[in-house]
Amino acid sequence: MFLDLHTHSVASDDSRAEVGQFARWTGVLRRKGYRIDGFVLTEHRQFDLDKDYSALAKSSGLIILKGSELDTDRGHFLVYGVTEELLSRVDFTVVGLDAAHLVAEADACGAIAVPAHPGRFGIGLYEYVEQGAGLGSISVVERLNGSNRPGEQERADALIESHALRGTGGSDAHLVSAIGACMTSFDNDIADEAELVRELRAGAFRAVRLEDTTQG
Amino acid sequence: MPNSPLYFEDVEMGDEVGPIERSVTTGQVREFVQVWGARSEPSRFTDPDAAKAEGLPGAIVPGAMSMALMSQIITGWSPSMVLRKLDIVFRQTVPHNAPLKLQGIVTDKGVVDGRPQLECDVFMEDAEGTRLVIGKATVTVPARG
Repeated sequence: MFLDLHTHSVASDDSRAEVGQFARWTGVLRRKGYRIDGFVLTEHRQFDLDKDYSALAKSSGLIILKGSELDTDRGHFLVYGVTEELLSRVDFTVVGLDAAHLVAEADACGAIAVPAHPGRFGIGLYEYVEQGAGLGSISVVERLNGSNRPGEQERADALIESHALRGTGGSDAHLVSAIGACMTSFDNDIADEAELVRELRAGAFRAVRLEDTTQG
Repeated sequence: MPNSPLYFEDVEMGDEVGPIERSVTTGQVREFVQVWGARSEPSRFTDPDAAKAEGLPGAIVPGAMSMALMSQIITGWSPSMVLRKLDIVFRQTVPHNAPLKLQGIVTDKGVVDGRPQLECDVFMEDAEGTRLVIGKATVTVPARG
């Protein structure tokens, strides 16, 4: 199945996309012959336990999950499988979180922290690793990001190859029409956040671009 | 701009608007800043040295001027389109004298408060395809009959 693992709705202050519009736009993509089975909302520096997209997911035939994108001292990290326990241990609102602490706490709470757009100039994990930072228990990073600028993809690929990491894909959509530009193709079905974490840890996935999802 | 007006029924989700290709010259920015008024010059908008002193690579197009450019995506689409709201996010600075591509895409259509309405993503890209300015436009358009 194809899931976009990195999207922002208007809950993030720099997005102009409503969640319902994302869902409707997947219909446009499907009519054009592309495949998208769902998406994960990764709002900046927040996680709302009470937000429930199950009705929208059911009516639109999509998997709609929740995660978060956090600011750390090693760049941005996408966090999947957020639990109340993790929220009690890590202040999501902090800019410049200790990345090693975040990764360890995510591991301990049944979540997973995945470096976002690691090739990004200035703030990507690639630069910190070049300066000698260790990866710790990080085994998955975002390989394809829909907002990558020229040169950033090459850096992400180099980081992944040199450290034998696995790579996800996400659009980093801040506009409706950007959703699905990059996605992650999973071998197994995923119905909720716990299953997403399980599959990310199992490693049976690969990053794809929207063009890779056309049938036939 | 098309000579004939477009109607609500003519537009579908996924329709593309534009692109408009242009660049903004330093002279145009100076004229804009003069009309804009109430600024101390030289500034990061008109003077490369003042811009560099602020850590910028060169003089930049003012945000208000970028907004005006973004509005042209809709106002230049068809004489029947009325731009109701333009909600912009400035992601990167816009340089002078560089090729820019302005484009939109219809992402939603419906009737709101009895008025046919469209929503469009709008964006400004540089020559490498990097989105410098993004946003959402809310547009009203007449229905046939």
